[in-house]
This record gives sequence, C-alpha cells and structure tokens, in this order.
Amino acid sequence: MAVPKGALGSWDARHIVRTMFPLLVVLSTVVLAAGITLEDAEALLAEYGILAVMVPTMIGTGGNLGAILSARLTTRFHLGTTEISPTDRVLWANVGAILALAATVFTALAVGAYAVGAAFGFGLPLPTLLVISLASGMSVAVIAIVFSLATTYASYRLGIDPDDTTIPIVTNVVDVCGMLVFLGVSGIVLGA
Amino acid sequence: MDARTELWSIYREALPVLLVALCGGLFSGVVLEEVVESVARFPGLLVMVPVFLATRGNVYGALGGRISSGLHQGLIEPRFAWDERLVNAVVASFVNAVGISVVIAVLTRIALFVLGWESAALAEFVAIMLLSGVLTSVVLIGGLLALIFVGYERGYDPDNLVGPIVTTLGDVFGMVFLLLSVLIVEVIA
Repeated sequence: MAVPKGALGSWDARHIVRTMFPLLVVLSTVVLAAGITLEDAEALLAEYGILAVMVPTMIGTGGNLGAILSARLTTRFHLGTTEISPTDRVLWANVGAILALAATVFTALAVGAYAVGAAFGFGLPLPTLLVISLASGMSVAVIAIVFSLATTYASYRLGIDPDDTTIPIVTNVVDVCGMLVFLGVSGIVLGA
Repeated sequence: MDARTELWSIYREALPVLLVALCGGLFSGVVLEEVVESVARFPGLLVMVPVFLATRGNVYGALGGRISSGLHQGLIEPRFAWDERLVNAVVASFVNAVGISVVIAVLTRIALFVLGWESAALAEFVAIMLLSGVLTSVVLIGGLLALIFVGYERGYDPDNLVGPIVTTLGDVFGMVFLLLSVLIVEVIA
C-alpha cells in the first residue's frame, strides 16, 4: 500500500503523469527483483500450490506494516518529535504494535492458507504452514521496522518530506524483502 | 498516554484493515495458483506478477489520496460528474496504469534476456499486460471512486478508506484480470 503524493496538489493530468511516471518506473524496477525470485522458485510453487496461495499476502503485508509505521513516524516528525531515542516510550509502543499486528496477521495467514488448502486438496500440515508464515512474517516485520525507522529519519534529516517519496520506496522495498524471505524460509522448511 | 495503552490502540486501529487485506490476498493467491499452471505456456510470466500487483497500490493509492484530499478541501463533489478536476485525475491514473503495464512487460523481457532464462515473446507479454492493465484500471478506478463517494456521504474519512480499498480490490481484480488475460492471449496466440 504505497501512496506517492508528489503531485497531490495538482489536478492537471499531464502534470500528474509527468511527476509520477518516472517514480513508477523506478519502483517497478525494484520490485522486478521479487518477480525474478518468484520465477526462480517456480518448481517449488508447482510442487506446493499452497505456497502460491500465500504469495500475494506475503508480498503486501510487509509493505503495509512499513507504511503504517512510516506514516505514524512521519506525523510525529511533523509535530516536532525529531529525535529517535531508545528511551522513547511512544516509539517502543509503535514498534510493539507493529510486531503484535504481524504476529496476528501471519498466524491468520497460516490458518487461512490451511483452510484453502483443505478445501482444494493441496494443503500442507498446519504446523508447517505456521512455521513458514510466522518465521518469514516476523523477519519481514523486523526488516520493515528497521527500514522505516532508518529511511524516515534519513529523509527528515535530508529535508525531504517523507510523505512524498520515502513511503512508496519503503513499502516497495519491503515487499521485495517479503518475497525473498518467504521463498527462502519455505525452501529451508520444505527441504527443497 | 501510557505506552501499553498506546500500543493496543494502534493495534486495534490497524488490525481490521490488515485482516480485510488478508482476505483479498488469500483470494488472489488461489487465482495465482491457477496462473502458475500457465507458466509452461508463457515462460517468465511469474516475473511480472509481483510488479503488476505492487503497481496497483502505487497508481490507485495516489488516485485515492488525491480524491480524498480533494473532498476534504471541497475541490470536488462526491459524485460521478463531468468535473474537470475529477476527469484529469482519472485520466492521469489510467495513463499511468496502462503505461506502466507496458513498461513492466518490456522490463521483464529485458531481465529474462540478461539472466539468459527462457522467455515468452515480447508481444505476448505486452498483450497480457496491456489487456490486464486496461481491465483492472476500469474496474479499480470506478470501484475506488464509488466506494470513496459512498463512504464519504456516510461520514467516513476517505483517508482511512483508500488503503484497504486499494489493497483488496487491487489484489482481487488484478489477479483475476491477469489470469483472464493470460487465458485470452493463450487462445489468440
């Protein structure tokens, strides 16, 4: 869920396209890495169809978590809290909430995928799906947290409004990480 | 506010959105499972899938953000009308969505060439992306505007609606139209 806002003030179609299209091309090139990994894992996906069922959520959720955290951090920066300090309780509350959300969503993903697999007859055992979903999901959540903190802080320091370009870049990069980690973890767990 | 209270209030706020997105994601996953079976006919097809899905969020998230700001500022009315601002915003997203679809097809063909992997013809990739890009943008632009307008009329803040609507509609219709385009191009080619 990336929301580039670079041309938000404009209502002229040509201006919107000129501002956004180059960013879209850059983002597409970044996410192409995820596609190459997916194509490379085609044999694994063909053998375990249930992994393909989990792919869109694995791609999207890391980016969604990164977007939520980045947006919240950005708002705090705009409101004047400009330091990232290990003693900052609100910061830890945000990080804790992201981890709790990740644990809930990736548990639900494993259960949902198990139900879909049972209905279509190509499932894996629930414990295996839980291990794959939570191991890759929690790793992606940590990546999303570190990446969001670093880029939001850096863009603020460099004087770029994080709303403009940082959030779409964070979400797309974290999407790619989600894909890489998910297929890596699946390969290890399933011994492929 | 106490840190623990703050943590759970963020959690409660964000969870429904993520669970709605999860349902959309699982549905499009079932469709993707079907797409995987077409890969033998179009080698390299899977390279385009994550990019195609990510682009939906980038293009329609921006449209939703613009419409939502426009409603808040009173620049546009919450209905389908021949309004110059609304038309410009819609045309821009359509051009961006269809344009980037063609770019994805070309980038995919180049990546497969550089890697030395087997690949379907460029014309086949372009046809699949163009077809699914046009179909998805018509349904997503229409659906997104309709849902934002209805939500706004009923008193919901459109800022909170855009993210989940785009993620869910994008996943569901993006994958369905991708599969449909693959099947159509398979018959024609």
